[in-house]
Amino acid sequence: MATIARPYSDPAGQRPNVPSADIQLPAVKSYEQVDEEIIGTLRPTGKWFLGLGLAIFCMLIGAAAWTYQIYWGLGQAGYEPPVMWGVYIITFVFWVGIGHAGTLISAILYLFRAGFRTTIYRAAEAMTVFAVLTAGLFPIIHIGRPWKFFWLIPYPNWRLLWPQFKSPLVWDVFAISTYLTISTTFLYIGLIPDIAVLRDRETNPVRRQIFAVLSLGWRNSEREWRHFARAYLFLAAFSTPLVLSVHSVVSFDFAMALTPGWHATIFPPYFVAGAIFSGFAMVWTIIIPIRKWWNLQHYVTLNHLDATAKVVLFTSLVVGSAYFIEFFIAWYSNVPVEQEYFWNRVFGQWWWAAWIMLTCNMILPMSLFSQKLRRNPTWLFILSLFINLGMWFERFVIVVPSLSHEFEPWQWSDYAPSWVDMSFLIGSFGWFFMWFLLFIKQLPVVAIAEVKEIIPPKLRGTVDSHGASAHGGH
Amino acid sequence: MVGVLGAFAELDGATGAIEEIKREGFTDFDVYSPTIRHELEHAVHPPQSKVRVFTLVGGLLGVTFGYWMAIWSSEYWPLVVGGKAIASWIPYTIIGFEVMILVGGLSTVAAIFILGGLPRLTRTIGYDPRFSGGDYGVFVRCNADRAESVESIFRSHGAGEVRRER
Amino acid sequence: MSTTSGSSGLKRREFLKVLGATGAAAGTVGCSSDSVERLIPYLNHPDQTVPGVSNYYATTCRECAAGCGVIAEVRDGRAIKLEGNPAHPLNQGAICSKGQAALQGLYNPDRFRGPMMREGERLVPITWDRALQELNTRLDQAGPALANGVFINQHESGSFPVVLDQWLATRGIPGHLSYDADLNLGTIAAHRQAYGVAWPTIDFTQARLIVSVGADFLDDWGAAVPQQLNFADARAQLQNAPRFVYVGPRRSLTGLNADQWIPCRPGSELAIMQALGGTGTASIAQAAEAAGVEPTLLQGLADELRGAGRSMILAGTRGADAMEVALAAAALNQALGNVGVTILPGSPATAFERAASYADVRGVVEQMASGQVPVFFVRGANPAFTTPPALGFAAAMARVPFKVSFSSYPDETTLLCDLILPDHHALESWGDAQPVPGLIGLQQPTMDPVFNTRPTADLLLLLTGGGALSAAPLAISGATSPGVEVPGAAALGSQVVPAPAPGAVTTTPREHLYRDWLIGRIPGGAAALTSALQTGLIAGNVGQSAAAVRPAPAPVAALPAIAQTEGDFFFHIYPSPLLGTGSGANKPWLQELADPVSKIAWQTWIEIHPTRAWDMGIDNGDLVTITTGTGSVTAPAYLYLGIHPDTVAMPLGRGHTAYGRYAAGIGVNPLIAVPAAEDAQSGGLAYSVTKCRVTKTGGFDDLVTTEGSARQHGRGIAQAMTVAELMAPVTDDHGHDIPGVPSYEPLPGLRSPVAADAQGELADPDSKDKGMYDPQHWSKMASRRWAMTIDLARCTGCSACVTACYAENNIPTVGAPWQGRATSPLTWDERPGANIVKGREMTWIRIERYFEGGEDYGSNFDTRFAPMLCQHCGNAPCEPVCPVYATYHSPDGLNVQVYNRCVGTRYCSNNCPYKVRYFNWFGYGEPNRRQYAFPEPLNWQLNPDVTVRGKGVMEKCTFCVQRIREAEHRAVAEGRLVEADEFTTACAQACPSRAIVFGDAADATWSVAQLATDRRAYHVFGDLSTYTAVVYLKSIIHPGPATPVQA
Repeated sequence: MATIARPYSDPAGQRPNVPSADIQLPAVKSYEQVDEEIIGTLRPTGKWFLGLGLAIFCMLIGAAAWTYQIYWGLGQAGYEPPVMWGVYIITFVFWVGIGHAGTLISAILYLFRAGFRTTIYRAAEAMTVFAVLTAGLFPIIHIGRPWKFFWLIPYPNWRLLWPQFKSPLVWDVFAISTYLTISTTFLYIGLIPDIAVLRDRETNPVRRQIFAVLSLGWRNSEREWRHFARAYLFLAAFSTPLVLSVHSVVSFDFAMALTPGWHATIFPPYFVAGAIFSGFAMVWTIIIPIRKWWNLQHYVTLNHLDATAKVVLFTSLVVGSAYFIEFFIAWYSNVPVEQEYFWNRVFGQWWWAAWIMLTCNMILPMSLFSQKLRRNPTWLFILSLFINLGMWFERFVIVVPSLSHEFEPWQWSDYAPSWVDMSFLIGSFGWFFMWFLLFIKQLPVVAIAEVKEIIPPKLRGTVDSHGASAHGGH
Repeated sequence: MVGVLGAFAELDGATGAIEEIKREGFTDFDVYSPTIRHELEHAVHPPQSKVRVFTLVGGLLGVTFGYWMAIWSSEYWPLVVGGKAIASWIPYTIIGFEVMILVGGLSTVAAIFILGGLPRLTRTIGYDPRFSGGDYGVFVRCNADRAESVESIFRSHGAGEVRRER
Repeated sequence: MSTTSGSSGLKRREFLKVLGATGAAAGTVGCSSDSVERLIPYLNHPDQTVPGVSNYYATTCRECAAGCGVIAEVRDGRAIKLEGNPAHPLNQGAICSKGQAALQGLYNPDRFRGPMMREGERLVPITWDRALQELNTRLDQAGPALANGVFINQHESGSFPVVLDQWLATRGIPGHLSYDADLNLGTIAAHRQAYGVAWPTIDFTQARLIVSVGADFLDDWGAAVPQQLNFADARAQLQNAPRFVYVGPRRSLTGLNADQWIPCRPGSELAIMQALGGTGTASIAQAAEAAGVEPTLLQGLADELRGAGRSMILAGTRGADAMEVALAAAALNQALGNVGVTILPGSPATAFERAASYADVRGVVEQMASGQVPVFFVRGANPAFTTPPALGFAAAMARVPFKVSFSSYPDETTLLCDLILPDHHALESWGDAQPVPGLIGLQQPTMDPVFNTRPTADLLLLLTGGGALSAAPLAISGATSPGVEVPGAAALGSQVVPAPAPGAVTTTPREHLYRDWLIGRIPGGAAALTSALQTGLIAGNVGQSAAAVRPAPAPVAALPAIAQTEGDFFFHIYPSPLLGTGSGANKPWLQELADPVSKIAWQTWIEIHPTRAWDMGIDNGDLVTITTGTGSVTAPAYLYLGIHPDTVAMPLGRGHTAYGRYAAGIGVNPLIAVPAAEDAQSGGLAYSVTKCRVTKTGGFDDLVTTEGSARQHGRGIAQAMTVAELMAPVTDDHGHDIPGVPSYEPLPGLRSPVAADAQGELADPDSKDKGMYDPQHWSKMASRRWAMTIDLARCTGCSACVTACYAENNIPTVGAPWQGRATSPLTWDERPGANIVKGREMTWIRIERYFEGGEDYGSNFDTRFAPMLCQHCGNAPCEPVCPVYATYHSPDGLNVQVYNRCVGTRYCSNNCPYKVRYFNWFGYGEPNRRQYAFPEPLNWQLNPDVTVRGKGVMEKCTFCVQRIREAEHRAVAEGRLVEADEFTTACAQACPSRAIVFGDAADATWSVAQLATDRRAYHVFGDLSTYTAVVYLKSIIHPGPATPVQA
């Protein structure tokens, strides 16, 4: 909720519930219009069924690959020792990264009172939950004995065997599971008032009952709103360090190792920036088609896209400078192993991967310096695809070349993913979009209650209501 | 006869009604709004929310448990890895932190439920579906003899509909 | 008593695993992935067999002619490991890869299950009675024509040749041919002429300069193991060690151990020898011209020889002039006064006496082709494969009406036979060998026969009713019995017991005709034999049987000198140091073991010099065709620095068309392109006799190599120092000069308790001294630090340690064509070594072979061998990253790997700087998987003390923890502490160079503790502060006047 629950008369004169000019929704006149238009998007269409079918098909490809791999063993994947991590870990980090935009938008931008989050945060948050859901599968897929993965979880057992809490992988388990829990809760809490709206507009008694249960009997009473806003604030305050910690912990998987190319203190900020970068790109990939197909242009306006584009541009610059700092440190450290590795990364064996990464993550986003392009949805959509590709390859460049070119020259090797790896990659997208598509046709993808908040309330016009400032402002 | 419900299309109508009702000495009333309007909160002027207490306690419990679990389990079955101390505080901070977030967050959610009186699965009187739509609502609990005055107050502030709940 | 392996088909658990995981609920199912094993106790307890406790039997290795003594470890009636016999004067406890792989010959899944007879095209099983009856009748039918019968036997010393010839005599068949294609007949003949013995003892320790002209004394030239022991001792003299110069067209394993290599064209060796000796016509300049080298190199060598004092010149070429070259070498030795100093004809080896020559085999072929031969016997040898196809052995054999094989394997020759009477494996039968005069190595059955085979010797005695042969047994002369003491007995852990252990069920009658016949030969009889079997040795001599009496084959028309033949490259062929001329190819250990030089396995390659290759646009793996006047072979190219630019080389040993699943269809046989030429004087088969045309075929085939980069990139893995550096005084911490070879403080990581060990000076014991890590703990475990030193000055890169590790630790071989991965849902990668191409070999210990120098692609480069295994770091990077404690640091300093706890995140391997952790990509231990590595009965060899790892878990070197614990338990049972050097690991035990030493570095009484303080000691990647338990000792470079120093 885009509002900070705090005393109404603000000495600073700032009125958080009054949107700044660039993210007003002039085309949205009344609360009723919001209800009608948003709920209108929930009607299933043929295109949607088609997409869902495709997603499920891809998901089944992944499931089949997993069955096959468990039966035969991990050798069916493309691993080539000492490259012991491959597509699975790359894709894991990729999805965790995607999963960062949602919480960033709903929590951090909330604390920063960035109004442009209002209309996109629901989609982003749903994306987060499903991305983390996808990412969470890959550590299990990737281990040699997936049926034993629960040994990484501290569950009580009579032998009192516990995980090894010094291992970054155990930190992962804690970070990812906490993140999934909190972001899911966050999504659901935000949904409660909207579900109440659905409940009250629903004519079908069955669906109505379901919504009634899901809404937990929400009544929009001032008492509920008060605690709600308070709790939402604290959840946001928790999610903010959480979202930063999660990708830092993921980066520890690499930074804690002494592998050249991994052993770098810059990794946590570098990974977080990259995560936000890729997350916003994925938000574009999702929200731009939606706003077009469902005619939500007057909710997700060019101003919103422009604002997100600025975030992407910024994170792109952060990531780009991180790349260069890595090279600088390799040169400055004067460690031959590091230097050889980085040379091999960019000009040797793996030049192609490195240059895909640099092009997609550094060079192309530079275009966002132009406002014209920032306000061009088509370009943003195309760019988002490139950024997704580039970020996948960033993780590839981090994981594979480092392992293939380590201390022991005798064990230098190559790596090529197998058809099984690729099936899992396809399957992961299927799995993600299956959930997302199911979500957007059941629950409002734009937060109804919050949109209502930023459009001016009806007034009798007699009293000087502060809501009035929404119009002329003073 | 339980009380009187008024539905207002305009925000300032609702706020006006609330202020007058308070002046009239009514204390037991609910206010409904499709979204957060601080004008209403200002009009009602409720006490500070208690959610913060839940959050604080949950967070502290979480961090304590996180550290304790890691340290106790390492000490219970001492095995040296990589020559590090068997119970290493620094890496265990991550465990403590994550569990703090988890427990703290969940207890905050619990706070909404407990303080906000959720979940409420029975239909209650004094509510109208349009309060989730466009209208603001005020419901005053009172007996029949004072209903008249309440109704008049509502109407004077341009209530779209006034009805007695029984 | 049979362990039941998991039933075939999809098991319930696996089904659940699959089902559950696909349901994204993998964690809740598949509680156990282990297959159930049944243990059946003895009903009637056999003598001397305690379940779970090993017996050790002293016997003799018959894998090559040398006849080393071995100890067979037998557990519950099955031989599970072969180790060198410490009491044997020849190999002194060492053993080579070939010898250890004898077990895979014993348990080879493709052995004949019983006698077979040809019916039409097929071989069908028959009974032994029927088989012997058939044999008798066919022999009777042949009648007097048997005078033209032929018996080709593997070359072996001892009594069997005697009894064989006696039996042949009773049938009127001429004496047998004792044929071994691996023998270097040219050298043997020259030795006989020059020294009067087939093989004088060669004492490297006495020499100051070793010059080898194609004599690969570390590969296959002579008795490899004893020579390697002696050579390593010589090199271990450090500053007093001999300098070693190798002359030859190709740097073999022996050549790579040389300080200097003088490349020469094949066929030019004789000119070089004459130039060096100043004899003959060739001057240095002419020799250099013929050899294609700088005259200065030869001049330098000649000068060195003059000034060296005690030296030795060894010749072992395989050209048409092999004997001449060897004679020239002998002459040079005599001229330089080396005979009696470094070359000792006084104490010769008798192992090579009486060996038949290739010329004899050619004679037989001509005889058979003429259709006179009524019956042909073959045993052990495989001439149809080891002779050039140009000779037409198979075709000639087809003319023989009745062909009998006693071979136990379906090799090329045997499959041409009509009757197959499979012999026992050497480990199943009685016998003896005489490697050196005055010493008889005894061979006894270590277990009951695996299959329905019968020892040939018993058959022969049976066929003659036993009487005719045992009537006149040749006494063993000068016998003193029992044999020498067993210093190694304690180390062996349990006393050596004679008589076969009961165990596997057999269908053969328990007959010991040949044993009784042997007893008849031994003064003292059965009692003497029994006591002698404690050591497997008797002092004495076996009377030699008369040499084969058969018409000497007509001499062949000598081929033109190799330099005159047509072609742009010289074609050089050499026996593989692991597979020999092909006998080893059916043993997966030897196929999987990377060639010590090229590091290629499961494949035949063509060695070509980089400069020439690049001119022709050839790079590693490009398919290349070699064409000679005789034929052409195609194989992937391997660009090798160590070959003369004018030469291409190919190894023998692969390219079988039969010989079982592990040999057939793997690699190519270069003999196809070799004319059937021989050294007219010695009658030896000449390999290097022709030039060839080399063309790029256009295809590509990944080299099945274990090599990543052949260069160290200055990372100091295999370090070396010059003699000068070694002798330079160094200053110790207190500023005193330390002269000579001083001792140092132990390197960090070699102390105990583990706390101090793991953190060096920064140790905070309080943080770790808990439980068994507490020095005060009753177990006193924390007081030990198991460690290892590897002396690179000794290591020759022979890789025997690798095979020993495979045998001891149940390591699966992964290179067989059916063990690869799926390349699509329907197709599999069925190239031999497909998994190794993907770097998935499981060598817990591997030999890294690095080149130093030679950036100009010249001949002046140095080679470093570094055995690399788990370093058991005190600060192991692999440990803290494991999420489930599957790897941790044990109180006695081991880096422990808990297979059952491992979930397979493989993070440990990512974090291991030494890359010595290996992952089970497939179910190599699951009988119902195509990747199964131990097809029945190969699984009989598995070591019961070591688990077979399941798929999806990480594994690595454990420092043979099972041996450590066994020794500790034994000590506890005997109420004492483990004594210094009481036991050792499998790799250290096998090492024929004695380069590996294992023990407790925290206890100064162990030799490892002293070695670890040697001045040459260093840690690999010491700057990573991993505080490893493996300490390497720098090798020593002996620069000569000709070579610039390079460290």
